[in-house]
Amino acid sequence: MTAPFRPIRAWLVGVAAVASLLLTGAQLSFYEESLPGTLNPLYAQSMVDFRAQELVFDRIFYHDPVDNQIVSRVVERSELAEGGKAYRVTLKDGLRWHDGKAVGAADLCFTVEAMLDPKTPSRIAQGYRTVLAGCEVESERVALVMFTRVFHNPKERLGFALLPKGAFTGTAIAPDTDFSVHPIGSGPYKGGKGKRGVTFEAYANGHHAARVNQLSLQEGGDPIVQVNTLKQKSAQGIVAVAPPLRPDVSAADDLQLKSYDLRSWWFIAVNTKRPALADKRVRQALDRTLDRTELRTLTIGVKPGEQNSPCEFISGPFVQSSPFYNRAVPTRDKSDRATASRLLTEAGYKLVGGLWQHNGQPVKLNIGMLAPLDKEAPELLQQISNQLGAGGFDRVETRISVDDWNRRVVTGQATEFDLLVGKWSFGVVEEVNQLFETRTGAKGAFNIFGYSSPEADAAVAAYNAARTDTAAADAYHKLHAVLADQLPYLFLWKLDTKSAWRTEVRGNTISPYFYWTEVDGWTFGG
Amino acid sequence: MAGWWLRPLLRLGAAATLPLVVPALVAAVVWALPGDPAEIICPRSTCTGGAELAARWRLDAGPWAFYQAWLGDALGGEFGRSWRVLQGVPVAELLTEAVPNTLVLVGAAGLLVTLAGLGGLTGALGARAEALARAVGVAPAVLLGLLAAASIELRYGADAFGPDAASWRLVAGVAVLVLADGAFGGALAGARAATAAERAARYVGVAVLRGEAPLDNMLPNLAPALVGQLRARLVQLLSGAVVVEVVLRLDGVGDLLWTGTLLQDFGVVIAAATVFAVFSAVLLAAQAVAELIIGGVVRRVPEGLAS
Repeated sequence: MTAPFRPIRAWLVGVAAVASLLLTGAQLSFYEESLPGTLNPLYAQSMVDFRAQELVFDRIFYHDPVDNQIVSRVVERSELAEGGKAYRVTLKDGLRWHDGKAVGAADLCFTVEAMLDPKTPSRIAQGYRTVLAGCEVESERVALVMFTRVFHNPKERLGFALLPKGAFTGTAIAPDTDFSVHPIGSGPYKGGKGKRGVTFEAYANGHHAARVNQLSLQEGGDPIVQVNTLKQKSAQGIVAVAPPLRPDVSAADDLQLKSYDLRSWWFIAVNTKRPALADKRVRQALDRTLDRTELRTLTIGVKPGEQNSPCEFISGPFVQSSPFYNRAVPTRDKSDRATASRLLTEAGYKLVGGLWQHNGQPVKLNIGMLAPLDKEAPELLQQISNQLGAGGFDRVETRISVDDWNRRVVTGQATEFDLLVGKWSFGVVEEVNQLFETRTGAKGAFNIFGYSSPEADAAVAAYNAARTDTAAADAYHKLHAVLADQLPYLFLWKLDTKSAWRTEVRGNTISPYFYWTEVDGWTFGG
Repeated sequence: MAGWWLRPLLRLGAAATLPLVVPALVAAVVWALPGDPAEIICPRSTCTGGAELAARWRLDAGPWAFYQAWLGDALGGEFGRSWRVLQGVPVAELLTEAVPNTLVLVGAAGLLVTLAGLGGLTGALGARAEALARAVGVAPAVLLGLLAAASIELRYGADAFGPDAASWRLVAGVAVLVLADGAFGGALAGARAATAAERAARYVGVAVLRGEAPLDNMLPNLAPALVGQLRARLVQLLSGAVVVEVVLRLDGVGDLLWTGTLLQDFGVVIAAATVFAVFSAVLLAAQAVAELIIGGVVRRVPEGLAS
């Protein structure tokens, strides 16, 4: 667009903003699981953070929630360069930051450089350091992003949020800056975080025209109070409704349950470094001791034989709808105590007084669980412990706070535990390399108990070397089979996440993982 | 009674040192606790930049260096930025918002508790009022606070933190603080008990026989005890304010202290704890000054007598 037309365009954008305000003018309030910790995309730690940031920032590329194609709102055109080791990105004209400044290639390269700066203490940036090698500004709107190697899915590697160069003094970005509460993005909403909530004001832009003027994020307290508040029209939505309350929501005429594809799966990580658990047969015995059908009945409330259950068993590290899920590996829905006993006996265990002993010592399992899982599956830790107790294992249980989970468990320092119950969530890119490859350098960063297997490493290497989607899927099918055999994790289930929204909220397409990607189409009131 | 001034002077000394000692204790506790707050953001085993972050937060040079640097900045009015409570927001800004809320909460509750004491002192509130206040005071602040918080949440829904609800939260907070844990009943009972004991003294009987009002005679002797009771009640209210602010989600210093502790935001914790120390120091100093004034008046040589 040439310069003389820019004032006209800005005027039109202003008129559109005022019109949208007059037409809808409504504030849409919703409950989140908690308040976001930060609105700075480099420091997102929870799903709440990711969701809130999706309202404020544009990611370079994202998956269209309707047809799953990789698309972009900010990129005009893009092409592979330098034999596949780089990607040339041309940004659209007329993009604006929330402070009115133009979005340009310098911002894109700044974002890359900020993530590559070793003084930026960000785990998200750390993840990108194995993917991105640098960035060159070729012109005002054209940037060349360099990769560390050739990827079969280069666009998916550019799924990070765009940061404004002008909002920072350097590429070493600290978490405790004003940007974390009053960020400047280019997304559909301008966000402001307070101590009790977050407000998002619509910001009309060339590539966004949100029709709901204001969003108000509140911290969800008691789930029953949340649902009652929704019924009384004092709030319009709940991002995640606990399974036991879903029938109540379904029964209300003016509320609707909506699926939120979070691709979360639940697991029990097994400490393969412990002498008592190093033998594969013992892990297999534990796997057969668990009765998953009973567990989900007692904790999630799934009735036996229930159709459309929110809880789907899995046999590996992917949800069943994933192309990476290996359907040849069966799920283990019920317990098989006889086989478990045989395996333990073969492994040299002896049953004395109802408890299994290893080398003459009773086996006492130290079981930990990520504490917030209790909200979705009440008493899960206790029920798992009870089943293991009935199977002849002594045990002690601990609930682990989110901070401790992030600081000690994910980093592989919680070695005092034998079993850890947790949940991983993924977007459309379900890459599990960091969970299962041997922990060395930047590899295996989320390998909880330092599991190491040449077969698993080989499968991960095959995935990394894949140049086609089929080759990547084949590699992960192999990994799935290896893990189901070696059992560094006892895989439990995928638990559906459901949102509740009042029926006055229309056009509310919920995107996988990031939730608000299509918020421009949402309407309410007016 | 030589050396009657010693106790008030000790109080003044304690008041002067309290705001220095409390942040030192917080710094010591921060180092004694397991874990490093910088590791929550960026575990050093999996993420570079953690050392820079620890240096930025002064967690890299030991508790004494942390304390010295914090104190130096704090004396200049600089409290740094929140690490996690409201990441990036200056702690001074958080305190500017929180301190008035806590002062209003504790001030209003303190006023009502003082009125209870005055009622007991003058006999306006008798045994029946005391029994009733004591019965209500059996309820713990947590319980009353939760009831109030639930009713506000249900009434206001997603607007539970709007201006209307905020006013109700404050009113409910004051009510809980005054009624719960025997604050009102204790003040009333304390004043009545002290008055009754003094009233039994011989000099009061003599004064009554002389046709004088007993309170005028008792007050100089009662005043130090009553001032001490008032300070104790206000300290109790300050402690209670932490519970009330947390349960009712009032944006006060107590809530900052609690949230900061949960999130290991020690920049906020040390500042909030110091504010509480300053509150306590002010109360100690006020008590000491009152004791000195009263002492001076009581020990004044009556007119007409040779010294």
